[in-house]
Amino acid sequence: MLAIKRFVTSLIMLALAVAAGETGAADKEAALKAGFMFNFARYSEWQGLAKPLGYFKLCSPDIEFVDTASWVLHKQRIHELEIRVSLVELDSLSINQCNLLFVPTAYRKNWLTVDRTLLSHTMLVGEAPDFIHQGGHIRFFLLAGKIRFEVAPEELKKADITMSSKVLRLSRVVKEEQ
Amino acid sequence: MKYSAGVSWLLCMTSFSVASAEPMPNLDLESLMATDVQATSAMKRAQSAFSTAASLYVLGKEDIHASGAISVAEALKLVPGLEVRQLDNNQWAITARGVAGRYTSKLLVMVDGQSVYNPSFAGVYWETLDVPLYDIERIEVIRGQGGLLWGSNATNGVINIITKNSLDTRETLLKVSSGDQLNYDIGLRHGGNIGSNGSYRIFGSVRDSDAAKTGKSLPANDDAKQQSIGARFDFAPNDDLSILTQFSYTHTDMGQNLKALSLATNQNTLYADRFERDDGRIMARAEHRLSGSSNQMLQASWAIQDGKQLYLDERFQSVDVDYQMNSLWGATQLDWGLNYRNSYLPFEENYIIRSDADIDRLEQYGAFLQLQFALIPEQLNVSFGNKSEHNSFTGWEHQPVARITWQPNNEHVLWSAISQGVRIPSLAEFDYDTGINGTRVGEYFQTGIDAIDNYHVHTVLNGNQQVEPEKSLSYELGYRFSKQDWSFDLALFHTQSKDVFAVQPNPDSANLDQIAALLAQGKIVEAQQALQNTVLEFDVASNADLNVKGGEALVAWRPSVNFRAELGYSQMSYRYRLKENTQPAIGYDSDSKQFFAKTGWHPFKKHSFFALFRSINSDAYSVDDYDALDLSWAWQLMPHSSLSLTGKNLLAGSHLEYDNTSETFTVPNYIEQSVVLRLMAEF
Repeated sequence: MLAIKRFVTSLIMLALAVAAGETGAADKEAALKAGFMFNFARYSEWQGLAKPLGYFKLCSPDIEFVDTASWVLHKQRIHELEIRVSLVELDSLSINQCNLLFVPTAYRKNWLTVDRTLLSHTMLVGEAPDFIHQGGHIRFFLLAGKIRFEVAPEELKKADITMSSKVLRLSRVVKEEQ
Repeated sequence: MKYSAGVSWLLCMTSFSVASAEPMPNLDLESLMATDVQATSAMKRAQSAFSTAASLYVLGKEDIHASGAISVAEALKLVPGLEVRQLDNNQWAITARGVAGRYTSKLLVMVDGQSVYNPSFAGVYWETLDVPLYDIERIEVIRGQGGLLWGSNATNGVINIITKNSLDTRETLLKVSSGDQLNYDIGLRHGGNIGSNGSYRIFGSVRDSDAAKTGKSLPANDDAKQQSIGARFDFAPNDDLSILTQFSYTHTDMGQNLKALSLATNQNTLYADRFERDDGRIMARAEHRLSGSSNQMLQASWAIQDGKQLYLDERFQSVDVDYQMNSLWGATQLDWGLNYRNSYLPFEENYIIRSDADIDRLEQYGAFLQLQFALIPEQLNVSFGNKSEHNSFTGWEHQPVARITWQPNNEHVLWSAISQGVRIPSLAEFDYDTGINGTRVGEYFQTGIDAIDNYHVHTVLNGNQQVEPEKSLSYELGYRFSKQDWSFDLALFHTQSKDVFAVQPNPDSANLDQIAALLAQGKIVEAQQALQNTVLEFDVASNADLNVKGGEALVAWRPSVNFRAELGYSQMSYRYRLKENTQPAIGYDSDSKQFFAKTGWHPFKKHSFFALFRSINSDAYSVDDYDALDLSWAWQLMPHSSLSLTGKNLLAGSHLEYDNTSETFTVPNYIEQSVVLRLMAEF
């Protein structure tokens, strides 16, 4: 009995000593979110999309997301435009050229300091619980193991972006007063 | 990495096959909505199904919908390796890695984690389990032991039916089906938002079907009338808390042929009967994310199954409370939980069944602990744990398990498991004395007097309160391989069970020697009187050994989003080792093989085809081998409306799937070809 206890104790100690990341699951979540953003863009109309660059620029300050999204959205097009996934710093002027900006939870504090006038025609997607209340348009959340999203269509409209009802009917709609 | 609020028993996999690494996601919006961030279930927490050390299959909603199935039991035909036998148009015997019985299948069945297992007879009333198929997210099937996480009576496997979150059913859906045996099957569901953090759906259905054309022992009598209502409410006040509440109620009125003891002859007699049953369930679950690495869950549920049929006035209620916590330190996972179940089974004596001790309550409580960690990070994972549970019949029972997976890269996984499962006796085995087919005197001695030789002595199968729980030790070995568009899944198993339920005569019960002496003295009248007062008893015993071994192999191929196919093969040998003068109670020595093929094809934008072929080769059910083919064609009339036509049993024709006649009451019927036309619209 003592030997069994020692064995179990050893296994527990060994287990606690081992620490490793869970890259696989995180990659999958990022890949799925990139896919959702592709659909958000595909089923939305930008009043001034043709104006800036000649391609659709999807931005994020998260290098891991940028890598994953680049892989997932390779050779995809939005409104006839090639998609380019770009790494940006939230406090830089380069965010001005983003058609869609994804702000992961880890960048929540940086997001609060961003100059919003640089993002007047940018679709703003995040995942922090208060992202929409902090000026965002679309927020991801996890529900029963799946990715779901909420949308503030009135806020999108202020950015001259109109989202199709095909997407809105799948979302949780956040009204302005909320 | 964030875990879903549903830590949980929420498995995954998009749809077709369990074995899949991490391919490029399908960018179609509907596919993304359907994809889980993670997989799992066999481990009762989020985990990749590909690397789970258990024989796991996930039946997705895509297949359920495409198959044209009209009930959960019928949908389970889509699971390779599962034993699914149809007794008549309504009744089923279903299990995994064993011989299925109408009333005894050692299989734990749950709807969203709520058990529908009935401890009176150790089985499931499949015909009254009416979960709307269009609201099922997936059905998780674990072949083999599930006792550590799910408790006793999961010796052969676990089936967990997961319904959709009501956030995903916020529209109105109408389904109307009809066919040559199905007069109508109408389902209506409506869903919507509740404030900004909640959603709901309500649903109802009515079904009316005719009896089959051909009966076996009696004219077929398996018509059905069924009505169901239900609702589900989901609230997520914040990202860390989600609350689910749901209820359902089903009233069933079905015809059945059954056999039961005749008071006049002491013999089983065939009856054309009806039964009515009410099935109600309420459950609530709260899932709470304590931190990025810790979750807890509390679930409470109540279930009722009341029924009336010839000789039986059944009443059953159960209350379940489960608590579970999952924690993560790096790659080390710790899961533990507590459970309490109280089953109320009031009993009224009748001619068929009497109770020795008037036991009307079964109480179970226990706890489980599971630890999972990496011996070699991202390659060699080990998990071990134990569930100890106390039941008021046999006391404390323990179900330890150890599992190991070796994943050298993203394409290969080798896994193995050793586990002990426990099946506690049903109330019928423990306490009831059940009248069974009378024993003919001529089997013991011949007098030459027909009235005596052909007389059937009143015979009773006695429940036994000294019976031991059945303990099964299982060894499993599995291998999975996954490429971008195809996968292979192999599982081998060997289960050795001891203290297995068997039946043995009680030699002291009948005074046959005394009767023989009266006959020898020529006292015929006295002998006849003595016979009428004699009861021959058989006792439930737990003294058999059972050895079951076999394996399941599955190849899945999905070269494009428009085509998918699965080929499966399973084999099992089932062997008893019985004490002298005993006989098996569930099945008998047998060999079973099953070849399985399933394909879904979407050749045109608005048209799709689905086929299921099963070749069943088994001597476990006293019926001929058969090949069954189901074909479906679906036409997408509008973006959210479809018309489908399904032909069932196209090759098998009129055939028997089950003819084990030793079970009390059970009378099988011929299963016939049938056609179902279905219209489904969402708006």
